[in-house]
Amino acid sequence: MNDTRQRLIRCFRAVFPSLAESEIPQATASTVESWDSVASVTLLATIEEEFGIEMAPEDMPDLISFEKMLSYLHAKGS
Amino acid sequence: MKLIEALEIIRTKTSDGAAGMRVELVCSFNPLHLQTFLSAWLRTSHQDRAIECNSGLYGDFLGNLPRLKQVRADAAVVAIEWGDLDPRLALRNLGVWEPDVYEDILKNARTRTIQLQSAIEAVSAKLPAIIVLPTLPLPPISHTPGSQAGTIELELRHCIAEFAIHAAQIPNVRIVNPERLDLLSPLGQRFDARSELATGFPYKLPHASTLAELISQLICPPVPKKGLITDLDDTLWNGILGETGIDGVSWDLEHHSHMHGLYQRSLRALASAGVLVGVASKNDNRVVEGALQRKDLILAAEHVFPVEANWGPKSESIRRILKTWNIGADAVVFIDDSPMELAEVKAVHPEIECIQFPKTDEQAVYELTARLRDIFGKARVSAEDRLRASSIRQAQVMAAENLGHGKAPAEFLKQAKAELSFSFVKHPLDPRALELINKTNQFNLNGQRYSEVSWQSLVNSPDSFLLIAAYQDKYGPLGKIAVIAGRVETGKVYVDSWVMSCRAFGRCIEHRCLQELFERFDAEEVVLNYEPTHKNGPVRDFLTEVLETDPVPLCSVRKEQFRKHRVEHWERVTEVSSE
Repeated sequence: MNDTRQRLIRCFRAVFPSLAESEIPQATASTVESWDSVASVTLLATIEEEFGIEMAPEDMPDLISFEKMLSYLHAKGS
Repeated sequence: MKLIEALEIIRTKTSDGAAGMRVELVCSFNPLHLQTFLSAWLRTSHQDRAIECNSGLYGDFLGNLPRLKQVRADAAVVAIEWGDLDPRLALRNLGVWEPDVYEDILKNARTRTIQLQSAIEAVSAKLPAIIVLPTLPLPPISHTPGSQAGTIELELRHCIAEFAIHAAQIPNVRIVNPERLDLLSPLGQRFDARSELATGFPYKLPHASTLAELISQLICPPVPKKGLITDLDDTLWNGILGETGIDGVSWDLEHHSHMHGLYQRSLRALASAGVLVGVASKNDNRVVEGALQRKDLILAAEHVFPVEANWGPKSESIRRILKTWNIGADAVVFIDDSPMELAEVKAVHPEIECIQFPKTDEQAVYELTARLRDIFGKARVSAEDRLRASSIRQAQVMAAENLGHGKAPAEFLKQAKAELSFSFVKHPLDPRALELINKTNQFNLNGQRYSEVSWQSLVNSPDSFLLIAAYQDKYGPLGKIAVIAGRVETGKVYVDSWVMSCRAFGRCIEHRCLQELFERFDAEEVVLNYEPTHKNGPVRDFLTEVLETDPVPLCSVRKEQFRKHRVEHWERVTEVSSE
């Protein structure tokens, strides 16, 4: 569980380098200025590759915060 | 490389004042992760450069190409996919595929490749262009089952192959090798239909990373090694010469030693492309001489120089070979079947790349020949490359005659019928000039290296000049051996770069080059952008002789001061200038 969280933080840090590590758990698409469509695609691709999963297109629109992504990964068994 | 690693690499800071490298990526698909991977691979191989990888308007493939003529960049990357030849070949387009439209698709494809070629020609006149031919599988357009090639598929591949053949012949254009890509990225694992439909990016991430790595290698090709030193017994041939005799060693199918023949063939090809090939063998020299005269050798004696056959340590033989070649150990590969010999050489010459000859593994020998292509490969083989080995032999002969008769250089050169020719032609730009500038270490005024773009910019400036010197004497031609680039301002010549091949040392060519600058530009003073490096001792020695003091950065030589260093022993000096 903790490992998943740390790996997800690493993904966020790679895509949003301006975010401090302490800010990442609160990150949402509406609060992070650089979270645009390109960042979103990059973040999802990074997470898919990092966790070896494939996200269903219908799930993607809901994955708009760190916490939601973490819950999604837990649900996927990561 | 994983995407997260690529993102982390490109986010790392470069040092303050790091030089930039700008690459323009042109493709009709969304460049997304290809752009990220390309930046990361370039950064990996050039950690001291700040990488800027730009892409034009997504979808406007042919529109973006002409725009590149206006931008200042180090390279352009043009990534073509099948949809660029006809939109119906792209997944995002629903144009029909029925046989009635095949001819129309082909007609479009031919027209587009002609337009592409013309656009690439224009771009490559300004900056190096890296072309990626379609990497994805053709969509299932043909009516034939997948196991059978359809005519339309073959025609489309023919069309792109014709385009590639023409494009590869355009100066400044390099094409990513589809065969190498096939080896590294299996065709069936390249296309990502989901990503293509969701984001417009058609590649799976491993394919994007592999492709970006190959592109980065073409943007900044690694400097090829210059020389290969090989062992003989159980390496160049099968068998121990001292035990089996000259006729007992083999390299053919009949004696189950064919892979040694393949190795010889590979070395012969390298030698013909200008790679120096020498021999370091623990053997009786007379027996080796006899063996190298065998008519059926694929790598004949004429391809090999020098041959060090003796019973001393191989590191000593290699030291002598390096001295004869006048190159550093870091530019050389040593191949031997014995791990002990490799270790002995490595201990004395740590910079040399040592490779064990895998004498019992045919597959490994085959792979070694492919590896040698990577180590020594270069974009083109120049006339100077072909002359290299013979001119080193000539230098040995010349040195022997000179030493034997105790002649002074001037007297010796007079009898050698030395001829120099100077060219001040800037257009078309001779690629040999930049090649010499970027690979010469010893007689190099300041060690400054140039990208193709920065070199073109320097040479094309209106007040600049470019001098290329070629030399020959009765021992044969050395080809183009010296380059000086600089500018002229109010009676002064400013030299930004000056290099001379080490093959041309000992002939006072550097004196005559400086004299040429004074005479050609009627200059009172030549200002030299000298910077000491850990390798450019020969430049320092020359300047110390002329200045009669240690040289310093931006030192200058006055006409009066140089007068006593003029050399007049040339049989002939010619000058070429079309401008």
